[in-house]
Amino acid sequence: MRRKATCASLLLTFLTSSVMALDFQTILTSQVAVGLNDGDLQKWDFTIKPEMTMDLSENLRLTAIGMARIEATDNLEPGRPDQFMRGALSKRGYIGDVAEIELREFYIDTSLDTPLGSAFLRLGKQQIVWGQADGLRVLDVVNPFNYREFILDEFEDRRIPLWSLNLEMPMGDVMTQFVWIPDQTYDQFPEPEAIFAIRSPRFIPPAPASGPVTLNEVNKPGDFIADSDVGLRLSAFMGGWDLTLNYLYHYQDRAVLFQTQYENGIAINPEYRRSHLIGGTFSNAFGSFTLRGEMGYSTDKYFLNQSSSNPNGIHKSGEFSYVLGLDYNGLQDSFISAQFFQSIITDFAQGIPRDKVDSQMTLLMDRAFMNDTLKVSFLLIQSLNDGDGVIELDMEYNLQDNITLSIGADIFYGNQIGLFGQFSQNDRLTFSIEIGF
Amino acid sequence: MTEHTILFPQTKAQQFFWRMMGLRWPIIILSIIFLGFTGSFLPTMVKDTTSDAFINPEEPSLIYRHKVQEIFGLSDPIVVAVINESDTGIYNPDSLTLVQWLTDNIQRLDNIDPDRLISLATESNIVGTNDGMEVQDFFDMPPKSDSRIGWIKNAIDHFPLYQGSLVARDRSTTIIIAELIDEAKAPETYEAILKLIKSAPNTLEDEIHVAGEGAVSGYMATYIDNDTKTLNPLAGLIITIILFLAFFTPRATILPNLIVLATAVGTFGIMAGVGVSFYVITNGLIVCLIGIAVADSLHIFSQYYEEMTEHPDAGQKELVVRAMASMWRPVTLTTVTTMAGFLSLWPTNDMPPIQYFGLFGALGVFIAWAYSLTFLPALLSLLPKRGSRSFKHQQTFSKSAHMMQSLGQAVLANPKKILTAGAMVVLLGIIGTNRVIIEEMRIENFKSTEPLYKADKRINAKMDGTYYLDIMIETPELEDLYKAENLNRIDALQEYLETLPNIGGTTSIVDYIKQMHKAVNENNPDYYSIPDNDMLIAQLFLLYSASGEPTDFEEEIDGDRRLALVRANLNVGSFVQNRAVVLAVEAYLTDHFNTDQIKANVTGRVNVDYHWIKGIKDSHMASVLVAFLAVISMTALLFRSLWAGLFAAIPVGMSILLIYAVMGFGDIWLGVGTSMFASIAIGLGVDFAIHTIDRMKELLSEGTSSVESRLINLYPTTGRALFFNFAAIALGFSVLLTSDVPPLIKFGGLVAIAISTSFLASMTILPALVTLHCPDFLLGKNKQQKLKPVTVSVLTGVMLMGMVAFNSEKAQATDLLNGENIIKNVIARDEGEFVTRNLTLALTDRRGKLRTQETKSFRRYFGPENMREKRTVIFYTAPTNIRGTAFLTYDYPDVNIDDDQWLYMPALRKVRRISASDRGDYFLGTDLTYEEIKKESKVEFSDYHYRTLGTEDIDGFATLTVEGTPVDDKISKELGYSKVIWSVDPEIWLARKVEFWDRNGNHLKTITNQNIEKIDNIWTVQKIHVINHKTGHKSLLTFSNIDYKTAVKANMFEQHMLRRGIR
Repeated sequence: MRRKATCASLLLTFLTSSVMALDFQTILTSQVAVGLNDGDLQKWDFTIKPEMTMDLSENLRLTAIGMARIEATDNLEPGRPDQFMRGALSKRGYIGDVAEIELREFYIDTSLDTPLGSAFLRLGKQQIVWGQADGLRVLDVVNPFNYREFILDEFEDRRIPLWSLNLEMPMGDVMTQFVWIPDQTYDQFPEPEAIFAIRSPRFIPPAPASGPVTLNEVNKPGDFIADSDVGLRLSAFMGGWDLTLNYLYHYQDRAVLFQTQYENGIAINPEYRRSHLIGGTFSNAFGSFTLRGEMGYSTDKYFLNQSSSNPNGIHKSGEFSYVLGLDYNGLQDSFISAQFFQSIITDFAQGIPRDKVDSQMTLLMDRAFMNDTLKVSFLLIQSLNDGDGVIELDMEYNLQDNITLSIGADIFYGNQIGLFGQFSQNDRLTFSIEIGF
Repeated sequence: MTEHTILFPQTKAQQFFWRMMGLRWPIIILSIIFLGFTGSFLPTMVKDTTSDAFINPEEPSLIYRHKVQEIFGLSDPIVVAVINESDTGIYNPDSLTLVQWLTDNIQRLDNIDPDRLISLATESNIVGTNDGMEVQDFFDMPPKSDSRIGWIKNAIDHFPLYQGSLVARDRSTTIIIAELIDEAKAPETYEAILKLIKSAPNTLEDEIHVAGEGAVSGYMATYIDNDTKTLNPLAGLIITIILFLAFFTPRATILPNLIVLATAVGTFGIMAGVGVSFYVITNGLIVCLIGIAVADSLHIFSQYYEEMTEHPDAGQKELVVRAMASMWRPVTLTTVTTMAGFLSLWPTNDMPPIQYFGLFGALGVFIAWAYSLTFLPALLSLLPKRGSRSFKHQQTFSKSAHMMQSLGQAVLANPKKILTAGAMVVLLGIIGTNRVIIEEMRIENFKSTEPLYKADKRINAKMDGTYYLDIMIETPELEDLYKAENLNRIDALQEYLETLPNIGGTTSIVDYIKQMHKAVNENNPDYYSIPDNDMLIAQLFLLYSASGEPTDFEEEIDGDRRLALVRANLNVGSFVQNRAVVLAVEAYLTDHFNTDQIKANVTGRVNVDYHWIKGIKDSHMASVLVAFLAVISMTALLFRSLWAGLFAAIPVGMSILLIYAVMGFGDIWLGVGTSMFASIAIGLGVDFAIHTIDRMKELLSEGTSSVESRLINLYPTTGRALFFNFAAIALGFSVLLTSDVPPLIKFGGLVAIAISTSFLASMTILPALVTLHCPDFLLGKNKQQKLKPVTVSVLTGVMLMGMVAFNSEKAQATDLLNGENIIKNVIARDEGEFVTRNLTLALTDRRGKLRTQETKSFRRYFGPENMREKRTVIFYTAPTNIRGTAFLTYDYPDVNIDDDQWLYMPALRKVRRISASDRGDYFLGTDLTYEEIKKESKVEFSDYHYRTLGTEDIDGFATLTVEGTPVDDKISKELGYSKVIWSVDPEIWLARKVEFWDRNGNHLKTITNQNIEKIDNIWTVQKIHVINHKTGHKSLLTFSNIDYKTAVKANMFEQHMLRRGIR
């Protein structure tokens, strides 16, 4: 009962503050998702995102973005999900089971005059985005993701911002970006009872024929300095080409599920492991086409491997992956984009529950009508190995400057063991309204 | 302390309120301090009763009207009429002396512009004399002699211009038109004129009437004030009576009134403190808040007395705590939903008074809630324990409880009949909805018995009309209006105007010219025409100036003889009727009037009214939709069930439909005042459903007896409280029925009907539905709501209901430069090394829907002279949905190298390389292409073959017209054009107008560059107007804060700047 009052008063506080705000911008979103297979209400949430920017001095700007969410249903993250994967300063605040608040971003921007030129420093909780691919992640791994709605949520909301230092320094025509991330926050996967809980054997070790499975506490890195991530990106615009070289020494955002066999059971010991990632991107436009590409090599990746030769159930290998994308702008008010993605396990072993080469393709078609007030989009992501995939349809209407209504459908199909197929019972219809103040 | 209280408090809520009791003195003191503080701002409250207050200051028609007003004066005037119904009409010594007296005295009033007062006593006759013509004042002295009066009568009879506009055609009436210097002081001026009239030397036969737009807004303030003086105390009195009847105790009568006082003082104090004006409709808010503020305490007192019956041994403090602990939740729920209803008016409207009505309404509801939960229990706990007659015994019900009990029995016994009746109401609603019309008539804000109302009707019946539709005529060159061809065009326009309904007459410079022409031809009526000789026309003006005042024509024509104003007098101020006129005039102007040599635009009060009132329907629909969605979702959220949301929507939906039916069948318009009813009715009406659902849930989750036997208990308890709640709010709003302001009467009546419907439907339809099929959420099984696909469609249906329901609707160069050289000059024009500026994009679609976007942009040239690379970056700053979007382009000097372009999309947080070959794509929803945005007002030389066509005058500037045809089909396809015509001003080498034809040869769009001024010594276009003739879509780009001096850093044009955002 008290919880409801808090929700209501919270909502109320935000509603009143947002309308009286002068330097604030607030976006209120409500989305309803209804399951197409069972008619279940998958979600109905209300999200308020207040955003504030303040110039502390001519060369010092503070940006703060908060988020409060209330859900009518509690299906995406039932109860109060464990926050072990979050750094101490990156945890969400739960108000009862259905409401949560989070400081999304909080950083200062400043520029520093250096002998090399004007450097830019962004310090605080922020999102750092690398790469040229849309939706497919090769280099966009600086920030972890929250998979509460698998990949259906907006990118902006899926990415978990981290406390980081981001320094950009020009060196001639090359821009150097140095990132240091002491925030030990990793991917957040939904709890087993959640709608989008990961069930595919690709990622979850199968239960043993007999005996109990013990899930031990996660061995999580905890040293502020020793366990921090560092990265470097060089970018340049040369001869019409946008080029970057990227390097990241980081903890992979997904815990490795080491297994120990006992006489009558299995113990799972999740552990986060480090890896070096080296890669690069390119893009250029040719006539109506834009060509984009991104590739990366990770030194140490860990794959489930159930073969008997592998006592801990894990196989370590390097992984090379890349995305090639082609965009077409030739039709009025339209955008068509196709991408091809491959991940190659360099040291493949029998027993890994995927192919050595895993391929996916995506197709995106966007069209705007009525001077951009009505937008329709179609997105297909298809796994070429498992034959499963997802189709996302969306229609968005800008009712007024500050009010957007949208209706959409997300359809998963294919084999239950596939990345997308595992959610084939989760097809849904969505309605949402976004009001900006 | 009794043994009983030792076990108390039990629940968390009880503990909370128990602890609060310890702080009751601080609460009371703080509450009073808050009131004193906010109350101290009340004397600073500013009233704004002008009708312009309702119009978004950005409305183009309003801006245009202000521009026209600057040229020709013509503010909203106060019209004083002298009516004499005797045989002589006004042509008698007494009436004419009165006109002179009124003219003299009104001219002396403070806020009256003495030079802009029109009456028989100020105007002149144009008569022919032997040596040409003479301008003679109608009055030299107040005319006394019959011969002089006869001369005046004869002069007017032969001066068509004055017939109907100055003297009625039946000679019974003459008017004095007084323009105000400051429209904001209209109330004082109106009062002063009324006072003056009381001492006027009029005989019994002379009636004096005061009307006109100036009088309407002038009197409105006083009128509303007087209304408020009786309305608010009456609302307070009615509420007090209801409170007394509900409880028969002084405390339950007085304390809620304190909450009302606190709510009113707090809300209006803050309103004054933050500098928001008190508008005409703000009066309605007071009554609204009186009704709403009392509802919370009504429920609390009801519970307090119930607790007293149940716990006879408990002390006063405990009773108060018990009552608060069980009532805080429903009271909070209803507060949140009512606030949602009010708040939905804010984002969906662009009329400031309505926006503030919503905002401060919500604030008031919040204050009432806060005081009811703190101040009320604190005060109540200080009083000794004393019961109420209405709650004497637990077993016996009061009369009201009996009444509700009987209703309950009837409902539960006949659920099907109830639902059938409900379905009939819905059907009636749907039919009625389609009959609702959008209308607004400002004079209808007054009762028909008001002198001003009568004056308006009287004067408009006698004269050509006191509502003005103005048409501004523009010609390109000095003295173009001396041309007979142009004057004939204006004459034809006037003739057309006079065929339109409601237009009583028109005036323009043409009427004077005809009169002058007649005068110089020995007053021969055959010469009442436009001379066909341009020279003669100019001479007529010269002749006139010999004896007339130089300012005589300033309301009809400008000093340069380039601009003229045609004024049409309309005798009704109705939106619906005048809409037809405005549309007809607009069509006439486009089809028959406008040429390159003369252009006309509609303006005037009537046009402004048409433009802002037509937006009412859209904003009404949006506010209904938002309010509906808000209350449904909040209810769903609070009960954690979608079904609960839909359930709560039923009574509210029915009440709104019924209201549309009442409006549709009762010929009540949807106007400014009435357009707000729905949001408020939704916010208030849903409260009944919430209380009902809450109680039904409680009743149904306990016990195992039949649904009916459990539900019957709903009636004597919650039902009774709701009955008084309904009575308080419905009667509170009904008080508006006694108002003298018709829109408030309608608003109050409609909300009262809506609330009654919501109450009745909550008490009948909801329980009836539950008896037939009890939804799971009421049984407490709401952990996982199953939603059938059919529900999805119902949900979508409900969401769309509101929408669907309403959808029933210079250099006369002999050697013209060749085209290539002209364009080369355009391209070579100095644009400055850098520029920083703000750009506002106003996008209007065919239906008039306006979207506004704000951007900040930078441009800089790089590289050596002749090989200059141009880089541009644009950052979007508003609205929220596109804020952060940024566009960067590198335009290379070598045409064979494609440009490079990047777009930053904040949702993806990625800079996306975009192809630059599709130069003809429209730029982010505007009517300009990427190419045009990038090139600003220049062009890529190699794209076209050029040919000089000739010259054209644009807004008085001589331009050279150059036709461009794309060099090949590929370029044509890329650009999307088959032909472009630039009208280049050779003085500044800027195109003042550009016309485009699409690939099929159809006229595609027109770009007009306006407000061209020198800034930092660089010719700068400050306004670009684009109209797409195919789609009807328009874009208006307004540049501001243009700065060519401050150097723009080179790194501003790097990709990472897009990500970092504007600084």
